Amino acid sequence: MTIRVDPENNEPNALFALADFNGRRVLEIGCGNGRLTWRYADRAAHVTAIDPFEGSIARAKENMPNHLKSRVEFRHIGFDDFAAASESSTFDIVILSWSL
Amino acid sequence: MVHALEDINQLLKPDGCLIDIHPIREAPFIKVFRGSDLLSVESDPGYDYDEGIQHAEAALAEVLHRGSYRVERENEFELVTSASSAPELQDYWEQYGAFDDTPKDEAMIVRKNEVYTRADEIMQNASGAEISCHERARITRLEPNVRE
Repeated sequence: MTIRVDPENNEPNALFALADFNGRRVLEIGCGNGRLTWRYADRAAHVTAIDPFEGSIARAKENMPNHLKSRVEFRHIGFDDFAAASESSTFDIVILSWSL
Repeated sequence: MVHALEDINQLLKPDGCLIDIHPIREAPFIKVFRGSDLLSVESDPGYDYDEGIQHAEAALAEVLHRGSYRVERENEFELVTSASSAPELQDYWEQYGAFDDTPKDEAMIVRKNEVYTRADEIMQNASGAEISCHERARITRLEPNVRE
């Protein structure tokens, strides 16, 4: 398979132009298969990436690079349930990833 | 959506930010290139985001009106996904959306298949050609206003 997604890194470059991820706690809503997560996670202190589709999260976990396993947590959960179970003022950056 | 944006406001630290990425209201383009030569370009008839984008933009406008957030900066970028064959690109998108169980418009699927079939025919006669999907998106940094 020779699929190439965003070969010129337009998406992460646009993301990094708007926010400094270094040492930040990040929530990504609608992470899908982790396509975008991999592009910024190595800069963040911790990433919680959620998606309501179980298959997408399974694929994201399968494809997780080893060096990110200590800082990225993928969760199969909808945002409403996640928000109800979360404490306020937890995240430095929240990303709505093609999901609003 | 407004409720979700208000919940996000609560989850953010006071000096945090929300980054919203969503496609603009314009169908992606399916292009076939050989080297730098553009052999064909068609808009993707499978594009069915329009209603969703309208709701998203209305929700953002509402929370800005309420004063929950302010727009700090925004920009646009192009997301390109390319493949060495039309079936390969089509398979990729089908797998990518396989977990989305919202109803699909059958007529739209037929039109989409026709676009990929035409692209495939062009590529059969153009050795080394590549197919790509070009989708534009808006990225916005919103900062929460001080909560009471």
